[in-house]
Amino acid sequence: MTPRYDAIVVGGGHNGLVTAAYLARAGKKTLVLERRDLVGGAAVTEEVFPGFKFSVFSYVVSLLRPEIIRDLDLPRHGLQILPLESTVTPLDNGDYLAGWADPDETRRELCRHSPRDADASAVFGRLMHHMAMAVRPILGMVPPDPTSLSPGDLVGLLKLGGHFRSLGAERFHALHKLMTMSSADYLDEWFEFGPLKATKSASGIIGTFLGPRSPGSAYVLLHHYMGELDGAFRAWGFQKGGTGGISESIAGAARAHGVTIRTGAAVERVIVRNNRATGVVLEGGEEISAKIVISGLDPRLTFTKLVESRELPADLVEAVRRFKFRGSSGKVNLALAGLPNFTCMPGEGPHLRGAISISPSVEYLERAYDDAKYGEFSRHPYMDIVIPSMIDPNMAPPGKHVMSVFVQYAPYDLNGGWTDAKREAFGDAVIDTVSRYAPNLKSLILHRQVLTPLDIERMTGLSEGNIFQGELALQQLFFLRPLPQWSNYRTPIEGYWQCGAGTHPGGGIMGASGRLAAMEILRSGS
Amino acid sequence: MSEPVAGAAKSPSYDAVVIGAGANGLVAATRLAQSGLRVLLLERSDALGGQGAIVEFAPGFRAAPLGIDPGWIPPAVARGLGLESLAGDPAEASLSVAIAPGSFLTLSRDAGRAAEAIKVHSASDAAKWPAFTGLLHRLAGFLGALYQTPAPDVGLASAADLPALLGLALKYRALGRQEMIEFLRTLPLSVWDLLDDAFESAPLKAAVAPGGIQDYRQGPRSGGTGYVLLHHLVGAPAGMVRGRLPWRGGPGAFTDAAEAAARRAGVTIRTGAAVTRITVHDDAATGVVLSNGEEITAGAILSTADPSRTLLDWVDPVWLDPEFMHAVGNIRYRGCTAVVLYALDTLPEFPGLESRDALAGLISLTPSVRALEKAADAAKYGEVSEHPHVEISVPTLRTAALADNGKHVMIARVQYAPYRLRDGAAWDAARREALADRVTAAIEAVSPGFGARVKHRVALSPRDLEERFGLREGAPTQGELGLDQILFMRPVAGWGRHATPIRGLYLGGAGAHPGPGILGGAGWLAASRLLADRRGGSKGA
Repeated sequence: MTPRYDAIVVGGGHNGLVTAAYLARAGKKTLVLERRDLVGGAAVTEEVFPGFKFSVFSYVVSLLRPEIIRDLDLPRHGLQILPLESTVTPLDNGDYLAGWADPDETRRELCRHSPRDADASAVFGRLMHHMAMAVRPILGMVPPDPTSLSPGDLVGLLKLGGHFRSLGAERFHALHKLMTMSSADYLDEWFEFGPLKATKSASGIIGTFLGPRSPGSAYVLLHHYMGELDGAFRAWGFQKGGTGGISESIAGAARAHGVTIRTGAAVERVIVRNNRATGVVLEGGEEISAKIVISGLDPRLTFTKLVESRELPADLVEAVRRFKFRGSSGKVNLALAGLPNFTCMPGEGPHLRGAISISPSVEYLERAYDDAKYGEFSRHPYMDIVIPSMIDPNMAPPGKHVMSVFVQYAPYDLNGGWTDAKREAFGDAVIDTVSRYAPNLKSLILHRQVLTPLDIERMTGLSEGNIFQGELALQQLFFLRPLPQWSNYRTPIEGYWQCGAGTHPGGGIMGASGRLAAMEILRSGS
Repeated sequence: MSEPVAGAAKSPSYDAVVIGAGANGLVAATRLAQSGLRVLLLERSDALGGQGAIVEFAPGFRAAPLGIDPGWIPPAVARGLGLESLAGDPAEASLSVAIAPGSFLTLSRDAGRAAEAIKVHSASDAAKWPAFTGLLHRLAGFLGALYQTPAPDVGLASAADLPALLGLALKYRALGRQEMIEFLRTLPLSVWDLLDDAFESAPLKAAVAPGGIQDYRQGPRSGGTGYVLLHHLVGAPAGMVRGRLPWRGGPGAFTDAAEAAARRAGVTIRTGAAVTRITVHDDAATGVVLSNGEEITAGAILSTADPSRTLLDWVDPVWLDPEFMHAVGNIRYRGCTAVVLYALDTLPEFPGLESRDALAGLISLTPSVRALEKAADAAKYGEVSEHPHVEISVPTLRTAALADNGKHVMIARVQYAPYRLRDGAAWDAARREALADRVTAAIEAVSPGFGARVKHRVALSPRDLEERFGLREGAPTQGELGLDQILFMRPVAGWGRHATPIRGLYLGGAGAHPGPGILGGAGWLAASRLLADRRGGSKGA
C-alpha cells in the first residue's frame, strides 16, 4: 500500500511550516498537522479581546533567516516587517537612556550619560557584528560532532576548524569569551554606565533561567545579535498584523508549493513499525500514512510523547530526561483605553513606537533572578514592553491600544505550583512595576491577559513554557542540541525526523532549524 | 657556581631570575638550573612555599592556612625534581557533610564503603555512586593530560603543535564516545545540574557540590562549576570527590622536598626580597629592582606572581600595548575565600560523626546545595554571606607536629567573603571578626562546646590573604577559573603559552596555564618555554 504522503510534519509552528514548504518545493507531497485552529505555534496573532489583537507569545522578530525569506518569497505571501526604532530604559532617578534608529542620535544620547561608553559602543557594535558573522556558517550547517569518527563529521569539523582559523586569533578568542562568559562580565569589559550594561545584558537572559551574572548568558546575548546580520544593523521589527502574520506568510508559501495544512488535527502518536515511522494517529483515531514523519515539537514531546520510550535506546531516553527546559518567562497582554504616560518621557512620542526596557541596573536584573532561583516570580521583574498598535493601528480599535509586556522571571516550577490566584498576583506585580514608570497605566487597562510558563505550555505545547524549546545553554547547543549524537535532525527511528527549535541552532523566530532539517531530509533521499 | 667574569661588565648577574618561591617558583627555578642556567629565586616573604607555606599563627600552633587541598604534582615535575618518593598519605581520606546537628554523611574514598553510607539516604544513589566517581576520575584524568602541555589554541595552532595535539586527540578518543561527550558537556554545566541529573539525595549533593565553587565567586547553579569541580580533582585518586591526598610527611613536605631539589640544582634562593620593578630595555626584560633599591640584572625573568602584578605593577607601561594592558586589567580575580585558624586545647566532639578520622578529612557544614547557592548570592552584591559555607579539617590528626604537647589545630575555609565589598567598604578587624564569629557559631552548632576549647583564633580575610601571601584580591587562583580564563585563554587570550609581549619575561604562576593546585605545573611549562626560546626554538605566542 502506498503511503498517502511523502512527509507529515507534526506541529504547525514556524519551523514545521518552513520544513514543509522546503519539502514541497522539492516536490514532496507534504501534510502539516496542527493541534490548534490556527498555525504558528508560539508565533500567532489572536483577537484575545474583541477588537484587540495580540501577538500572544512571541512579539518581535529579527532572527528570521534571510535565505528563507528569499527562498520562499515570503514578502509575496504577506511578510512585512515594520521597524521597532528605539529602546528606552526609564531610570530610577526620573531620567532615561534611549537608543534610536539614527546612530548619531544614539551617540549623542549616550554621550549625555558617558562619553566613554559612546565611544565604546561603536566599537562594540562592530565586534558583535563580526561575531554574528563568525557564527553565521555554524547556523547554516548541521553541527559536526567532535566525538564522532564518521567521514561526514570529520569533514564538517575540518571545515569548522578552517573557518575558526580564518577568523584570526583575535576574533576566535573574542568568540570564545562570548560563548563562556556572563553577559554582565562581558559588558563590564566594555562599558561603565550601569543602565546601559543592564539593558544590553537583558538580551542575555531572555528565555533562559540565567541571571546576567551567570556564565553562559553572554552566548544568549550573541544569539539575539544574530538578526543584525543582513542589511546593516537591521534591528528588531514587528510584523504587520502581529507575529501570526509571519506564520501565515510561511503557510501561504507552503500552500503555494502544494502543502496541505490541517488545523484542529492533534497528533496522538507516531506509528512505528519495525523501528520505522510509517505515519501518525490523530486524537480521535484517524490514521494517516506517510513515508516519513517530522516532529516540530520540542525534544521531550518528540521522544517521550509522540513515540513510546521503549522504541528508543535507554541512553537517549536518559539524555531527554537531562535536557533542560525550565521556562522562565511570562507575558502580560493589555488592552488599553489610551496611551501610557512614562514619567521619564511624558506624553506621546517616538519612544512609544519602540521598546521600553525595564532594566534600570544589572543588580535589579540579578535580584529578579534570585527570586526565581528559589521558586518565586520576580517581585520586580525585567520587562520588555512594546505597544504594537502604535506601529500598526489595526491591532486595536481607533484611539485604543494594545500593550505587550514580556516578563522575566516567572519560573515554571513555582513554589506550591501555579494557581489562578498566583497568576493574578504575578500580573499585579508586573503592572505595579510598570506603573512605577508610567503611573497612569492602571487607569487605562480595559482587559488583561496574564500568561505564566504553565499557561504557555498548555496553550502552545512548549514543555515547561520554554520559548526556545529548551534552554540555550552551552551544554545544549550545537552538536549537543537537542541530544548528543542526534543533532543531525534524525532520530534512532528510521523515517522519524526533528525540525523544531529544540534542534540546532535553536529558538527565536529564526526558521533555521526547519530549513536545515528539510535540507537533511532531502539530502538523505527520504 | 662561578661568579661572572670580571670585565664582562655587561653580562647579567644571572641567566634567569625567578620571582616567588611557591611551588611554581621552586619548580621553575630548579628546571632552569638543571639546564645549566645560573638562577636566582626571589621570595618576598621570609618563608618558602607560597600558598603552601606553614605559619605559626599562635605560640605552638602551626598550619598551612591555604593548604587544605595539597594539590597535585604532574608526573614530569615529580620526575624532573626527583619527588617521586613524595607519597600521599594512604590513610582514609574522607569527605563528610553535616546534614543536621548530630547527623553526618561520610563518604569514604573507597567507593564501596561510601555507597554503604549513601544507602541510608538513597539506595539508587548508592548504586550509582561507584560509576559516578569513576566517571569524574576519568574526566579529570583527561583534564590532567591537557594540563601537562601548553594549551592547544585553534587561533594560534601551527604545524609545530601537531604532535602534541595528536597526542591529546588520542587520549581524548581513548575516553570512548560516551565519555568524550560527557567531558564536553560537563565543562559548561553547573555542578547543581550535574548532581541533580545524577542523584536524588540532598546530603549527597551537598557533599560534592562545594568542589564546584572552591575559590570561585559563583554559586553551584552557575554554568562552569562543573569544570571547577573537575579541575580540583585532577590528580586525585579514584573515589575522591574533593581535593587530593595530603602528603605523608605533613603539609610542608612538598615545599621541603622542592627546596632541597632547587638547592641541589644550584639555585640561589633569597627570601625577604620583594620585587618592585622589572627593568625593560628595547622590549626585552633585563632585570629586577628590589624594594631596597637593589638592582639585579638577568637574561630572563620568570614571574610566578599574578599576571596583573607582574605586567601592570612592575613593568613600565610604555613597553606594553594598551589593548594588551586592557586585557590584563580585565582578568577577574574575585577573591571570596576567608580562612579561620583555631588553636584547640583538646579535640572537639562532633556527635553523629562516624569516627575521629573523619576530622582529618574534610567536613562541610553546608547541608544543602540550596544553602550553598544562598551563601553565594550575597557575594554578587559585595556582601559577606550571612550563613557562609564553612568546611573544616583538623590537620594535627595526621601531623601531630603542627601543635605542641598533643594539642590540635583546626582550619576553617569560608566562602563567600568577597574581597570587594559593597560601596567600597573596608575589610577591617570588626568585619573580619564578625565573620569569624559566624564561623565559630556554625561549628558550635554541630560540635557543642567547641567554642570553649578554642585557645586562639586567627581569622584571615581576603585582604589579609592578599597581604600575607601576595595574592591579588586574596584569590588563591591568581585569576578565577571561569571557562574564559582557562587553557589557551589563561592568563589572557593569545598569551596562553607563558610568554609575554616583553621578550625574556615569562609568567609561570597559578595565573598561567594550567592554573592553581597543579604544583609546579605552570612553573614547569614556563621554564620549558624559556629554555626553548633560549635555544631559538618555539616562536610566536
